Amino acid sequence: MTDPTLLHLTADETELWALGLLPATRDAHLAQCAECRRVAERERKLIRELAQLTRFAPEFGFVERVMAKVKIPTPSGPHFRPHTNS
Amino acid sequence: MAWAKQGHEAAFRELVRRYERPIFSLLYRMVHDRALAEDLAQETFIKVLNAIGTYNPQFKFSSWIFKIANNAAIDHLRKRELETLSLDGSPHATTPDEMSATAPQLGDRGETPLQELEARELGGAIEHAIARLRPEYRTCILLRHVEGHSYEEIARILDLPLGTVKTYIHRARNELRGYLEDRRE
Repeated sequence: MTDPTLLHLTADETELWALGLLPATRDAHLAQCAECRRVAERERKLIRELAQLTRFAPEFGFVERVMAKVKIPTPSGPHFRPHTNS
Repeated sequence: MAWAKQGHEAAFRELVRRYERPIFSLLYRMVHDRALAEDLAQETFIKVLNAIGTYNPQFKFSSWIFKIANNAAIDHLRKRELETLSLDGSPHATTPDEMSATAPQLGDRGETPLQELEARELGGAIEHAIARLRPEYRTCILLRHVEGHSYEEIARILDLPLGTVKTYIHRARNELRGYLEDRRE
């Protein structure tokens, strides 16, 4: 059986490493393989960049605009409850 | 969720508050138009809240709402034949000149405050790179690395086999790295 420290990382394993989830047995391969380390570092950089993307917000009052159009269920059946500012 | 299923208005509001940014962000990055993304986000929440009684708690609520949002975006893009809003221009363009002529010019327009805002928000290198991805790759990469869904959840959201989701995400990351390296060289 092949020594796991000799096998190059798969794409799945590279992602696991970038997320800090790679098992130690496979982690050991990175210490000795410059090519896998280079690929993994690039992957981690990209994944971090994606994770830090802005969470955009809709225009102010979005919740109220949605609630004004939603049917609120009641024991006697659903009805529209128009939004009020009170 | 249980309170929302019973029709408690406060629980409905809380669900909208909790998911408004993630849902709006996904839609905005899919359609590259703030007003349209807000319309689609509203449509998503209204559909979800009006059908809350049919929600199956065996599945994650976030998977359900992202599925409805993604379907809304894809339906809209198909209906309007906008398809990808790719930075490479119209999918029907066959020559470099046609592609250039039909490509959206993020950052170069600035005619209205809303367009300026969109150019500012979506004008960075990573946003440009994401916008160049095919829509199915874009959804997968956003759900995986921005929203933190598992591969299995993404497969459920998009009704795709798990292997396809993995392939899309790996290809999307390769393409993104390529686009980003091209810009940085």
